[in-house]
Amino acid sequence: MLLDAAAAPLTARPYYQNGDPGPLVAALATVPELLEVSLPFLTTVLGASSLDARTKEIVIVRTSALLHCVYCVNSHSVVALDSGLTAAEVVALRDEPRAALGGEREDALLGWVDAVAGGNGPVADAVAARFGRSFADHEVVELTLLVGATMMLNRFCTALELPTSPAVIDRLTAAGLR
Amino acid sequence: MSTPAAAVAAGVLPGRVWLYSNYHCNLTCTYCLTESGPGVQRRELTAERMLETARQAAELGFTALGVTGGEPFLVPDMPKTLAGLGAILPTVGLTNGTLFTGRRLAAVEVLAGTDVALQISLDSAVPAVNDEARGPDNFAKVVAAIPALIERGITVRIATTGESDNPDDLARLCELHRGLGVPDSDHVVRPVISRGRAVTADLGVDATVDDLPAELTITADGAFWSPFGPTVINGRLDTDLLLTRTTDPLRVPAQTLLGLVEGRPAGGDTTLNIR
Repeated sequence: MLLDAAAAPLTARPYYQNGDPGPLVAALATVPELLEVSLPFLTTVLGASSLDARTKEIVIVRTSALLHCVYCVNSHSVVALDSGLTAAEVVALRDEPRAALGGEREDALLGWVDAVAGGNGPVADAVAARFGRSFADHEVVELTLLVGATMMLNRFCTALELPTSPAVIDRLTAAGLR
Repeated sequence: MSTPAAAVAAGVLPGRVWLYSNYHCNLTCTYCLTESGPGVQRRELTAERMLETARQAAELGFTALGVTGGEPFLVPDMPKTLAGLGAILPTVGLTNGTLFTGRRLAAVEVLAGTDVALQISLDSAVPAVNDEARGPDNFAKVVAAIPALIERGITVRIATTGESDNPDDLARLCELHRGLGVPDSDHVVRPVISRGRAVTADLGVDATVDDLPAELTITADGAFWSPFGPTVINGRLDTDLLLTRTTDPLRVPAQTLLGLVEGRPAGGDTTLNIR
């Protein structure tokens, strides 16, 4: 199911130019017209934007932990470390029940993430109101889409059992996160 | 990006769309691109699917069709399907030419006077040389079929795969096909391409995307850059020349192909004469 560089379809080849593009690309490359639209989408939603990287990785790691996506939790724990979270903070996001990170803004964010990714139906008014006090409308929209896109990735990567790369495992081991 | 119609009209995009009707075959040629044979997965395009693809190809501005496999004439009703395709766009149907006896020969008469040509494989004027690659009695069956088809008003072309080092071999082959009623203008010679079973047999020349004309090719597995794209090795479909899994609507792979072609230098595909 995972295509290597030699088997990469024509429109997927640019993703292989700098070496192994990782299992997500290698899987999506089997349907190149989906790769062409989904990778730019995911890169836009999960990548650098007007929101700081720490905030985004809090959302991604926490959502992935709630959905039990081993691949995403592993991969984004490393990205979270690179984005300024401590190993203890990463553990707090991965644990159930999670521990608070300590600041009102981030705890309001995590309340929203837990409600959107872990709940059913509407978000409770109190959770939404607390979240809305800390984030502007456009940030609410972006962060909510980030939760949703991460959930989609979580289910995709889990169902297809995408493997965590050895480099990620080495980083996690070095950080005491294995 | 321009439209497929404009690109075909400008000669930027080849006008022919290929359809892989099926992958199974009564032969197991040594250089077969698709590892075809009697026991392989059929992976057929239905007649309805082929005709709908042809209609969309015409609407998009493509100017010709090709049908290949596998051996297309193992598919029931292929003569009628080809006649239907020929009514939409000029069509060439590739065949090994070994099945045209009895009922199949009678059935193929529906192609008489249509815009459908049958392209039959014949690799050498020497029966033993031809049959070494294509199987026992292949030569005898083919040289019997060609005049029988021509007598019935069907246009026949001959395709020779593999190039001999001896120019006399080609001269003898041309003498043979002229004698069978096929003019030089309907004889094509192309190299063995090192894909599919040819890789296993260590035959042929390497061909990259830059060597292959960008002829949109539709299969049950998706759309490819060229009819040399949907090859099979060790039972696995090659994906290196895959364009899209989506084939309906045809504009999806057509636009993907066009996007790739427009970034490609002109004329680079002619060196190996892969047609």
